[in-house]
Amino acid sequence: MIMPSQNFTEQKIKVSFLSIGMALLLGACSTTAADGDYAAMDPMESVNRGVFAVNEAVDEAFLEPVAVTYQAVTPKGIRLGLRNFLRNLRSPIDLGNQILQGDVEGAANQTARTVINTLAGFGGLVDVAEMGGIPYEPEDFGQTLAVWGVGSGPYMVLPLLGPSSVRDSAGLLVDTVADPLRLYLFNIHEEGWHYGRVAAGVVDKREELLSVISDLRKNSFDYYAAIRSAYFQNREALINDQDEELTSGPEIPDYDTY
Amino acid sequence: MIFRNCFVCSVSLLVLATSSAHAAMVHVPNDHAPRFLTVAANEAAKGAETFIDSMGQRAIGFLGNDSMSRTQKEREFRTLLRNSFDLKTIGRFSLGQYWKSANDAQRKEYQSLFEDLVVNVYSQRFDDYKGQALKVKGSRSEGAKDTIVNTAIVDGSGTEFKVDWRVRYKDGSYKIVDVIIEGVSMSLTQRSDFSSVIQRGGGSIDVLIAHLKGQQ
Repeated sequence: MIMPSQNFTEQKIKVSFLSIGMALLLGACSTTAADGDYAAMDPMESVNRGVFAVNEAVDEAFLEPVAVTYQAVTPKGIRLGLRNFLRNLRSPIDLGNQILQGDVEGAANQTARTVINTLAGFGGLVDVAEMGGIPYEPEDFGQTLAVWGVGSGPYMVLPLLGPSSVRDSAGLLVDTVADPLRLYLFNIHEEGWHYGRVAAGVVDKREELLSVISDLRKNSFDYYAAIRSAYFQNREALINDQDEELTSGPEIPDYDTY
Repeated sequence: MIFRNCFVCSVSLLVLATSSAHAAMVHVPNDHAPRFLTVAANEAAKGAETFIDSMGQRAIGFLGNDSMSRTQKEREFRTLLRNSFDLKTIGRFSLGQYWKSANDAQRKEYQSLFEDLVVNVYSQRFDDYKGQALKVKGSRSEGAKDTIVNTAIVDGSGTEFKVDWRVRYKDGSYKIVDVIIEGVSMSLTQRSDFSSVIQRGGGSIDVLIAHLKGQQ
């Protein structure tokens, strides 16, 4: 029989080896495309477009209708409560990554958020901390790798999970494996709660993005290229969350001819 | 940090700020910037905030006006868009590197089609209007002519949706040159979309023009 603590340590060691390996692997390829041409960051474009098409079909047949129904039948307050609750469950991941990024203020804010929202916000249902001026800052291991100087690597569309990059896929894997709540639920053999939480997270996220995605789908000629661009821009903004000058879009030249 | 963000502090700050809300929200530039520049930048930033605020007021004024017909509202909205956005600059930016290879006739046709595209895209949104308000949160100067105005679109339940506007002061008036949501620039995304269409269509701007025509 494996002791829970032993299991945890083993996983941690595996995770750190994996992240070091990934960091070495990706360290060399760092790319940005300020000119909006993200095709250069997508050497696997034909494969990605294939996966993207499958994801689109699944989304239109299943996920989008579920999100639309969820939005229609659930009062806004309840949806907001669930979102806050799910965010609060992510606290260990957010905090861990703030620490790994060396963001002392971010880590302090994250700790304060967890304590305040868990105690005063009915277990995280109400984001009391945000009302008091400590807004939520999503952190993940992909961002941490970026702060450590790892480039995004090629663009990747993951089956069902959607837009990502080699770096951010590795980050997602690390966050999932190292998530203390998942480890706890697996150790007490309550895997069902873990998968339930993942499913709730997916529906919540899709509901949040309903209008943005339908807008982009309707208004772009090459929806794949528009999503790819939005993905890289959004990631860039999340990575640079401390520096607002880097999150306000590209410089638009002052042309003298049109 | 924790103490800076505490409740009591926020509340007292709010009380202090109400009388001079706009002044308090304007980002204080670095101390090492020359004094005259600081003053000018502050004024431009304030002007840009007022511009976005009044645009929001105007939009809400007719969007929430039940005595106006749908066609009337749409016409008002189009006028507001044409007056508020620097569509020529956004259009040229969105074409990216392909602007150089386009001839005068292509440029002219593209710009006119692009204007129609933007006006059409944004006009669709006025159907989504359900009593939201536009709240200016603050601003920050960017370069010599631009100001980033931070706003929140607030709906009845108090949910906020953050939108940043890049506003340019040129030839005596303010115009929007970009809209940024969650770090995603609409102008840059448009450019990515167009550049992919042109590349996949063999590198000619005519492919894009055909797409733009098909949109109408």
